[in-house]
Amino acid sequence: MYDVVDYVLNTTFNLGAAGWVVSLISYLMIATVLFLVAPLQMLFLTYYERRLIARMQDRVGPNRVGPEGMFQPVADAVKMFTKEDIIPAAADKWVHLLAPLVVVAPTMFMFAVLPWGPGMTPIDMHIGLLFFFAVSSISAVGLMMAGWASYNKFSLLGAMRAVAQMVSYEIPAMLSLLAIVMITGSLSIVDIVQWQGGLFISSSDVAGVPNWGLGWFVFNPVGFLAFAAFFIAALAEGERTPFDIPEADSEIVAGYMTEYSGMKFGLFFLAQYVLNFLLCAITAVIFFGAWQGPGVNELYALGITPDNPDGNGWFNVLAGVLGAFYFLFKTYAFFFVMVWIRGAFPRLRVDQLMDFGWKYLIPLTLVNVFSAAIWVGFNNWGANEGFGFAEPLGDLGRWAVAFVLTLAINIAAYIVMTRIYGETRRVTFDEQLADTAGLPS
Amino acid sequence: MTIQFERGKVVVIDRGARKLRVGQGMLKGMAVVWHHWLKSFQKLDNFSKTAGVFTVEYPDERIKLPEAYRNMPILLYDDETGQELCTACFQCQRVCPPQVIHINQARNPETGKAIPAAAEFIIEYDACMSCGFCAEVCPFDSIKMDHEFELSTEDHAELTMNKAQLSRPVSYYERIAPTFWAEVKASAYKKLQNSVKRRVDLIGIAPQMVEKVKAMRAAAAESEATEAAPSSAPTKPSAAETSPATDKAAKLAAIRAANAAKQDAGNGGTSTPEAPAGDDKAAKLAAIRAANAAKKAAESGEGSASVAPAAPEAPAGDDKAARLAAIRAANAAKKAKDEQENS
Repeated sequence: MYDVVDYVLNTTFNLGAAGWVVSLISYLMIATVLFLVAPLQMLFLTYYERRLIARMQDRVGPNRVGPEGMFQPVADAVKMFTKEDIIPAAADKWVHLLAPLVVVAPTMFMFAVLPWGPGMTPIDMHIGLLFFFAVSSISAVGLMMAGWASYNKFSLLGAMRAVAQMVSYEIPAMLSLLAIVMITGSLSIVDIVQWQGGLFISSSDVAGVPNWGLGWFVFNPVGFLAFAAFFIAALAEGERTPFDIPEADSEIVAGYMTEYSGMKFGLFFLAQYVLNFLLCAITAVIFFGAWQGPGVNELYALGITPDNPDGNGWFNVLAGVLGAFYFLFKTYAFFFVMVWIRGAFPRLRVDQLMDFGWKYLIPLTLVNVFSAAIWVGFNNWGANEGFGFAEPLGDLGRWAVAFVLTLAINIAAYIVMTRIYGETRRVTFDEQLADTAGLPS
Repeated sequence: MTIQFERGKVVVIDRGARKLRVGQGMLKGMAVVWHHWLKSFQKLDNFSKTAGVFTVEYPDERIKLPEAYRNMPILLYDDETGQELCTACFQCQRVCPPQVIHINQARNPETGKAIPAAAEFIIEYDACMSCGFCAEVCPFDSIKMDHEFELSTEDHAELTMNKAQLSRPVSYYERIAPTFWAEVKASAYKKLQNSVKRRVDLIGIAPQMVEKVKAMRAAAAESEATEAAPSSAPTKPSAAETSPATDKAAKLAAIRAANAAKQDAGNGGTSTPEAPAGDDKAAKLAAIRAANAAKKAAESGEGSASVAPAAPEAPAGDDKAARLAAIRAANAAKKAKDEQENS
C-alpha cells in the first residue's frame, strides 16, 4: 500500500510528499478497510450461524428479510442502534461505559497481523503471533470490568467464569502454538504461512517438494494434534458452545452482558463474533496455510514482488483475490465447524471445563511440544546439533522417520491421556450408590 | 440391551456399540448433526423419516385447516339472490356467553311489522371467545364459524363487525367446510325460501349484494315490462305494475270474501271499504272487513246495496297471507250463514 500511495502522490501528482505522510495515508487507508471489514464479518457470521444452526435443527432459519433473509443482520443492527441504553442505578457508570470498548478494541487490533493473501498482511510483525494472542487476552480485562461495574450477581459470576476460562484455555492454546513456533523457528505470521508451501510435505522440511501451497501443518502429526488442541481452546476463548459457560443463558441470564442493552450490548456481540472470526482465521492461518493453495504462489511470482520488481501488477491482484478466497473459505469452514459443534454438544459444567483444560489439554499439548522437538531434530538439525546419525537417511527419509515417530508418540499420548482422563471422570453405578447411601464402596 | 417385562414380552432395544472409547462418542454425536444438516435441504414430508425440514413456512405455505376449525362467527347469504339466511330469531344473541352479538330486527317501513331478517347484526370480535355456541344454536344455519384468523389490527374499533363485514356467501362456507354444509344445505335453503316469502323489497339482502340485486330486479322488471307491454299493458292499471302477483292475490282474496258474503246473505250489507295500500295485513284486513260485512248482512237479513267489488290496492304483500285471509273470510261467511239458518 505504501508503494501505491507513494506512486500516486509523488510520481503521478508530483507532490513531493514526505515518507511519513505517505506512511500515514497508507496506514489510514488500510485501517479504514479493516474497520469496515470487521463489522461486516460480524453481520455475515450472525446470519451464517443462524442459518446453519437452523438447518442442523431441521428448521429453515431467518429467511424473511431480503432474499433468503440476507438482510436480517442489517435489521438486527438497526434494532440494536435504536434500543434504549439502560445503565443500572447502582452501576459504576464510567467502567460500565468503558467495558464494551475495552472488549472491542483488542479484536480490532488483532486484524493488524492477519494475512489475507500473498503480500496482503497489514503489518508483518516479527512477533505477529505473540501480538495476536497477547492482544486477544486484553478483552478479558474488559469482561471483568463489565461484570464488576454492572453491580449484578449474574454479571459478576459470568465475568468471573469468563476470565477463569480465558486464562485457563490460553495455556493449552499457547502450548499448541509453541510446537508450531518450534518447527518454523519464527513468530512472524508471514513466515508461518510461507513455511506451509509444498504438497502434504512442507517444502521447508523436504527440499524439492512441488509447491502447490498444500504443505499445511495439519498434515503432520505434530501439527494435527496442535490443531485439535488449539481449536478446542479457541472454542473456549471465543466462548462458543460447549464452552459458553460465561454467558450460560440457562444459568446466569447472559453473564457479563446481563446489564447491557442497546448498542453497548451490540458492541459485546460484535466483539464476540469478530473474535470468533479471528480465531477461525488464525486457525486457518497457522494450521491450514492461510492463503496457501494451488495457484496462488504461481500467480504471485508473476506479480510485482521484492524479488521481481518488473512483474505485472494485475497478477498481484489475481493472487490476492485467489488467496483471500482460500483464506476466507477456510475461515468460514472453521466457523461451520464451530456451529456444528454447537449443534452437537451440550454445555460443560464449570468443573468439567477446568478439568478438561488443566488435566487433559495441557498434558497433551506438552507431549506435543516433545513431539515437535523430535520433528525439528530430525528435519532441521545436522551434525553440529548432534543429529549427524540421521543425515544418511536423506531429506525424505528424515521426514519419514520424524513422521512415524511423532505419530506414534502422539497417538499413544492421546489414547493414554484419554483413558486416564476418562477413568478420573467415570463414576460407576455402585460407587454412586455407595456415595448417596453412605456405604463403603 | 433387553428389558424383561413381567408378561414375558421382550423388547430388544438396539443402542449400537456398548462402549465408545477415546472420543468416538463425540464424533458419533457430530455425525448425527451432520446427517441432519445434509437432510435439511429436503422436506420432511413423510413422518417416518427422522430428518429433514419439517417447518411450514407460514405466510407462504399454510396447513389446510380442518373443517371443524372455528375462529370467529360469520353470517351466510345466498350467492345468487343475496338473501341472508338469518331471520333475526335472536337465538345466538341469547346463547352468546360474552354477549357480544347484537341484532336489530328488520321492520316493514310502512306498517312497522317485523320481517324475518336482521336490519343490523353486530358481533364484537374483540370480546368474542370463539366458543361456537351461536353456530351450534342457529336454527337457520345462518351463523357459521369462519377459518380466517389473521385479524390483528391497529384500530380496536375495527374489531366490531357489522352486518356488511360479517356477511359471506354460502359458496365461501361450502369451500371451507364442504361436508358440514352438505349436511344442512337442503334444510337451510328450505327455511330460507320460507323467510324470503315474508320479506319485502330489499330487506334481508346482504349489504354487499344490494346493488347487484337491485340491478338484477330492474333488469328483470324491464324485460317483463317489454314482454307484457303489447298484450296486457292497456288492461292493467298502472298501480298493479309494481307487484302484479301479490296485488292480484289480494284482490282475488277480497273478491272471494265479498262473493262469499254475497252468496250467503243474498244481498250484501255494506260495501267493503277500500283497503289502504299495503301488504298482506291490508289484504287480511280487507278480508276481515268483508267477513264482518257478511255477518252483519246475515244478521240484518235484509239486502240493500250491491256489494262493491272490494278491490283493495295492495301493491306489495304475500299471496299466501292473502289466501289465508280469504279462507278466513269464507269461513266467517259460512258461519254467519249457519247462524242465520239456526235463527
